[in-house]
Amino acid sequence: MSRAAASRVSVASSTCKLLWLRVRIWASVLRHATLRRKIGTLVVAALFVALLAAAFTGSWALLSFLRSPELAQVVDLTLVLEALPTIILTGSFLTILVTSFGVLLQSLYLARDMDFLMAAPIPVRAVFISKLIQAILPNFTLLCLFSLPVLFGLGASSGYHVLFYPLVILLLVCMTLAAAGLSAVLVMGVVRLVPARRVAEALAAVGAAASLICSQSGNFTRNMTFDAGQTTQLMRLLSRANAPWSPFAWAGRGLIGLGTGQGASAALGLGLTLVLALAIFAVTLRASEVLYHTGWSQMQAGTQRRPRARPQAAPRTTAARRPALPPLLPRAVSALIVKDALVLRRDLRNLSQLMTPLILGIVYAIMLARSAGQVDPGRGEAPQWFMHSASQMRAYGNIGIALFIGWIMLSRLGMMAFSHEGRAYWLIKTAPVTPVRLMLAKALAAYVPTLVIGEVFLAMASLLQRAGAGVMLFGMPVVALAVAGAVGVNLSFGVAGANLEWEDPRHMVRGSVGCIGSFAGMAYMALAAAFFIGPAVLVPSLGGSVGLGQAIGLVMGGVLALVCALLPPYLMLGRVRRIGEGG
Amino acid sequence: MTDILIETLDLAKRFGDKVAVDKVNLQVRAGEIFGFLGPNGAGKTTTIKMIVGLLQPTSGAVRVAGHDVQTEPLAAKAASGFVPDAPNLYTKLSARELLHFVGELYDVEPVMVERRIEELLRLFDLTAAADDLIDSYSHGMRQKVSLAAALVHDPRVLVLDEPTVGLDPKSARLIKDLLRQLAQRGAAVFLSTHILEIAERMCDRIGIINRGALVAVGTMDELRAMGQGTSSLEDIFLSLTGGAEYAAIAQVLQ
Repeated sequence: MSRAAASRVSVASSTCKLLWLRVRIWASVLRHATLRRKIGTLVVAALFVALLAAAFTGSWALLSFLRSPELAQVVDLTLVLEALPTIILTGSFLTILVTSFGVLLQSLYLARDMDFLMAAPIPVRAVFISKLIQAILPNFTLLCLFSLPVLFGLGASSGYHVLFYPLVILLLVCMTLAAAGLSAVLVMGVVRLVPARRVAEALAAVGAAASLICSQSGNFTRNMTFDAGQTTQLMRLLSRANAPWSPFAWAGRGLIGLGTGQGASAALGLGLTLVLALAIFAVTLRASEVLYHTGWSQMQAGTQRRPRARPQAAPRTTAARRPALPPLLPRAVSALIVKDALVLRRDLRNLSQLMTPLILGIVYAIMLARSAGQVDPGRGEAPQWFMHSASQMRAYGNIGIALFIGWIMLSRLGMMAFSHEGRAYWLIKTAPVTPVRLMLAKALAAYVPTLVIGEVFLAMASLLQRAGAGVMLFGMPVVALAVAGAVGVNLSFGVAGANLEWEDPRHMVRGSVGCIGSFAGMAYMALAAAFFIGPAVLVPSLGGSVGLGQAIGLVMGGVLALVCALLPPYLMLGRVRRIGEGG
Repeated sequence: MTDILIETLDLAKRFGDKVAVDKVNLQVRAGEIFGFLGPNGAGKTTTIKMIVGLLQPTSGAVRVAGHDVQTEPLAAKAASGFVPDAPNLYTKLSARELLHFVGELYDVEPVMVERRIEELLRLFDLTAAADDLIDSYSHGMRQKVSLAAALVHDPRVLVLDEPTVGLDPKSARLIKDLLRQLAQRGAAVFLSTHILEIAERMCDRIGIINRGALVAVGTMDELRAMGQGTSSLEDIFLSLTGGAEYAAIAQVLQ
């Protein structure tokens, strides 16, 4: 096709073609999927609709209650309810702005179809629009699940005009496009400073930490109490979002105006917002396609390291920089351990997975410290022996936290020890390394960091809990032995479910083996905790000494841990030889 | 001591019902460069993977430097170096770290490892980037690191799967010279390639595999004799692998 002819191809029809292609790919994937997957997709779709309906009904009922004259006599929520559309629209815009960053980065720089699309006789704008839509569609759908029911519920409970509903959807779509456009320009700017792959790694780490902190913040807010003054202050703060200078407020006020039949206010507010949103989308779209097409974003701006001047006489050797390992280990084993440590440390995507246990450990240690080692007596009807045992168990909470952290860490370090080699595994497989040495290296690479962090958390939790020295001294070998057993269990499932064909570390272990392995690791840790701590709690309850209980626990748990540390890996040695051979 | 460094005996590999490699018998001697040719999907890479111990044969055996790859894998692997078609390496290591790691896997003396690393980095023009992460390397640079990794332990057997793909002419020439030097020093080089010119110029003997079966093995002269008067390797290759009709179609289209 000639250039002139290509330029005549309309952006709209090309965009439709590209989007239709995506639909066809999706349909083709679904058509060729297993029956289980097809049913799963239908179930998810049905659940989505059901959730939407439930959220709408719930919002309707709640908003009707909040508008009731009875409640108004107690607390006046008029300002907050008037600000509700503004709050929802602001939240939606910011959510799309933040969440689009990662998906657009992936879609524009890390997906491998951009070169193909840019070289095709399609307008560049069509490529960008379709990419933007494809990227934001999943997040927009999720967003609709939360925002649409609330806004529709507001309309239904207030008896708003019928035009209110399509305008809500139109506003959400336009504001989402504007947010995605801004996000695309932001991506271009960031990628100019830092390579896209590195940004994706950092984003994964930040995302994992943020989601974990959000999920765990509930543990703290549970213990918080709000008084009437604070509640009023919060309401006032929320209603402040409806400030007249905010474009979100124009939209929110416009919607309320439309609902209540104030035509002029509605036309002004909604018109201004829609024009502004579409203008932002047009400008950012044009800017991002120019920046991408001219290669501006790919030019690294001053972040490339300059070649370092090194003295000729003393070339840098790797050995000098590596941590010293006991010489009793075979060189291949120590090389594998050092390699794993370097690779894990340098890939931020791995760090994001290892951050989880650290954050969880800190959260639970603080919770344990806040309880001051006391068991809630409830209504005081529990028998004495039960309260005594519960109190004893609580005393071993520090060990529980350390084991919990160990379990989570090993589900990454142990279970994925082989998978994380990825496509570079051929280097190890073609080298003269025995399966025993390979297994030993992987076990040590998983065991040592888990042990160190487990023991540190044990010490930290013991200090916070003000546990006695006896409990801590008992806990140290318990953690060391239990973690060793967990390494054996996780490593063995990791061998069975090894997957070397992955792009993203989150997809390292997949399928039923990974799922069963996670449960097996958890079941082992629970069993080990019962074997180690059970006798230490029960024996004193039955009149024996604490020391005797702990000794029995160490023997019972120790045997279990050693069996699990040695037997499963031994049984899997044959499979180590076959890793990476498929079928 | 035998001078046969690579030997396959009725080597076969099946994936379910599909026969990928069917009773392949070949030998590569010390000091020899052996070219392994075949159309896409003929079984070249599968054969190579069995030679270097990446895949277990369904039947038959492979001997490398006199050691059975299945029963004496450590001795066989210690004697061989491998360069795969795609240079998948640990991208979060630098070239220097990766070469050091490989040297330790092969249990090369630490002093020797350091010396070899410096030599190889200089040889492949990687010294300036040696401490940068492989993540930042181009395909060609990764290919060179992959080749350097195969040479760290100075192997007696070198197996290369499409080694010149993605290399600039200078690097491709370097590899050709290097392989010739290795062969002159007594190593066996087993090389798969699609570039027939490389095979014709470099290889002492050539094996052609088609649909899993070895259809021809010999020197260029022996292959010419088999090819009923055809003179170029391309013609011989096409006549043996059934691609000659495509050449005729191409002529008609012109």
